Amino acid sequence: MIQKSTDLIKYSDQGLYCELTDTWIDPHKPVKRALITHAHMDHFTFGCNEYISTPETSLIIKERIGSNINIKTYDYGKEFKINGIKLSFHPSGHILGSSQIKFNFGGEIWLITGDFKRQIDETCQEFEKVKTDYLISESTFGLPIFKWEETQKIAIDISKWVNLSPDRTSILFCYSLGKAQRLLNEINKTNFKNKIYTHTSINKMNNCYKKLGIDIFETNKFDKTQNINKFKGNLILLPPSLNRGSFLKKFKNIQTGFASGWMSIRALRKRSGYDKGFAISDHADWEAILKTLNETEAKNVFFHHGDSEALIRYLNEKNSINVLKFAP
Amino acid sequence: MSLNKFSELFLNLDSNNSTKKKIEILKNYFSTNDDLENSWSIYLLTGKKNKRFISGRYLKSFFSDIYEFPLWLIDTCYLRVGDSAEVITLLLKSKNIGKNKFTQDISLDELLNKILPELAVLKEDEKKLRVKEIWTKLPKENLLIFNKILTGTFRVGVSIGLITKSIANLINLDEAIISHRLMGDFKPSEDSYKFLINNKVDLEELNYKPYPFLLANTFEKKITEESINSFQYEWKWDGIRIQLIKRLGKVSIWTRGQDLINRSFPELVENTLFIKDDFVIDGELLVWNFAEELPMNFSFLQKRINRKSPSKSIQNKIPIIFIAYDLLELNGVDKRELNLENRRINLEKNFHKWINESEKDISIIFKISNLLFPKNWEEVENLKNKSRENATEGLVIKNKNSTYALGRKKGIWWKYKVDPMQLDAVLIYAKGGSGKRAGLYTDYSFALWKDGQLIKFASAYSGLNNQEIKELDKWIRKNTIEKFGPVRSVKPEMVFEISFENIQVSNRHKAGISVRFPRITKWRKDKNIKDADTLENAQKLMLNKL
Repeated sequence: MIQKSTDLIKYSDQGLYCELTDTWIDPHKPVKRALITHAHMDHFTFGCNEYISTPETSLIIKERIGSNINIKTYDYGKEFKINGIKLSFHPSGHILGSSQIKFNFGGEIWLITGDFKRQIDETCQEFEKVKTDYLISESTFGLPIFKWEETQKIAIDISKWVNLSPDRTSILFCYSLGKAQRLLNEINKTNFKNKIYTHTSINKMNNCYKKLGIDIFETNKFDKTQNINKFKGNLILLPPSLNRGSFLKKFKNIQTGFASGWMSIRALRKRSGYDKGFAISDHADWEAILKTLNETEAKNVFFHHGDSEALIRYLNEKNSINVLKFAP
Repeated sequence: MSLNKFSELFLNLDSNNSTKKKIEILKNYFSTNDDLENSWSIYLLTGKKNKRFISGRYLKSFFSDIYEFPLWLIDTCYLRVGDSAEVITLLLKSKNIGKNKFTQDISLDELLNKILPELAVLKEDEKKLRVKEIWTKLPKENLLIFNKILTGTFRVGVSIGLITKSIANLINLDEAIISHRLMGDFKPSEDSYKFLINNKVDLEELNYKPYPFLLANTFEKKITEESINSFQYEWKWDGIRIQLIKRLGKVSIWTRGQDLINRSFPELVENTLFIKDDFVIDGELLVWNFAEELPMNFSFLQKRINRKSPSKSIQNKIPIIFIAYDLLELNGVDKRELNLENRRINLEKNFHKWINESEKDISIIFKISNLLFPKNWEEVENLKNKSRENATEGLVIKNKNSTYALGRKKGIWWKYKVDPMQLDAVLIYAKGGSGKRAGLYTDYSFALWKDGQLIKFASAYSGLNNQEIKELDKWIRKNTIEKFGPVRSVKPEMVFEISFENIQVSNRHKAGISVRFPRITKWRKDKNIKDADTLENAQKLMLNKL
């Protein structure tokens, strides 16, 4: 039974859960009905009876885990009902197909941001401002030390990094879904003259993006059996999971980089072992989180993902919004 | 010729892990910069004792005051970042402070010789305004370097060895000479850099400098395949390794960390002046208990180091001795190329001569390291195991046929340390690390049982590998009982084997004991906290050691 309105969506370590619609949001375990905000692997799991997402997310999920799943799709902004409750997806700007989810409980609106960013990214739909009463916001980068630089500046840094080392092979590690496409798009705009090689997992995602009408810069396929001399002076994009791949030892002269928001902290950069870090993120930084809280006009906010303690105390001291914590 | 260039150098060094590449970067930097700037760069890069103009604490509170930014929020950010200068730099950038373009440039000399010393003597309010003014004027790219120099925390992954190599490479001179030139105090000036890169080697120029210390490697089993007679055996004392230098009638005492410590040990200087010859001796400084003929605890030595110009009564209460290991130079002649056997003969001959011909009895302070003569490797093992009885740390085993070479060249000297003392203890507190370990709980406190209660007895920071650190960090976050600022108390559940070198009575600790060099040697996942050791066991260890 729902007793308080602050219980309409609950949190557990398996994901967010809404009892009235009997749906889980991005669950970590197989459930009856799962709403999926986006197609990153840590946001969905195999074995659910029913999945609901945007058509873009659905296409990518099928590419990743096969098409033998029961998935319903709704376009951005299109209202649908579960147990009489109205729901809709709205762009969150994180990656292609990513969405915020709006629940309309008969007058009271709840909005789950999902992973979101406010920076311009031409490879996905721009974050949509949605008004709500209750907001559940991600807070992955919820500290004021996080402040993203313009994407194009980072792309120029990457270009320079490659260009200034013509005798070396530059290997940039980045997530194959979202980050890779965004980087390719931005690097292309810097008049990058050298070749770019990409790993199969990135090529697969590039193809999904193309199918969905996003123009992705043509790259060469990276194949570890190729003669390594041809990579010299060029750029290879690989997923982070290959960082310790044994084939890397074949290269005599390489420099490695990692593209992630965490790279703005020197200690993390040093600990990760990459030569160079590029601080670029598909999440909101501190200011973007605060701006979003403001623009949604939410009166109540919950945080999940990341360290939210600083945000909670900061907002409590400002007294501008009611900060709630999920019941343990 | 500027802070701009130095910032760029830092960025380049910081984003290349390859040593080869780093040397290339340094060579390129030194060869395109002027001498004075190069000397300041070396001063900063070797970072032995960079001056702190304001503390990290002040830097944070300045930022908080100037920009009306909550101090607690800066502290929370610090837990993630682990470096005050970097936190403030990130926050300045988030507030878009600093210039976007490289407009005005300042030289390192101007910064370190004028701007910062002048800032340091200002009153607090003026200081704050001055710091704010500099922040606003500097290019954004230079803020990190500036804040680091300001707080005296500039550090980059470059060792003195790497600087030595780069310079030796640049001017085509032997590394040993550059290393020698870099020993001791490095006072940044045009001349000090010119001296460093001088192609001609003039022995007199090195007059006041110690030699690079020869360091011992950890003993390896395979050494026992060699003949017992090819080595010289000595006790490994737990004091301060020093070079005692007397040249042209002047005495200097240099530690291995390259500190000049004459002022803390005037009696050693005084006694040395009774010796007629000039020399450089490698040896050990110890606080001595003359009644028991044993060194006193290391903490006494620390007291002596920290006390500049100690009174006669302190000199009497905490008396020191000097144990000579090796003779490196005699009357201006470098003896390091002789093999150890001959150096030892020289040392003994001269040492006894000095003692005999001195007007004052200097034999109270001057000792010579006694050699041990084990007949086989089994006896070596026994000697090592007995080393606690005379309060030494073990043995040093030196190849008789070796010269006094540079640095940690392998296989010349070996240290064979006595097995550490060990106790199984329970993790009770964890604290966030700093620097490289920022954002992880890496500083741990451990407890032993006493009357059914866990009493804290030691803190340790090292011993776990990266994988274990991550795993434990996760566990700590999940099993926190209470938070006190950066410290968390955790559920008493995890048992660790703690190793340490020594144990002694201490009134300053709740457990009544303190241990030296505690470190984690094993994560005892197989043990329940009931199996952890008691304080009584620790006390037994303490009694047994003698």
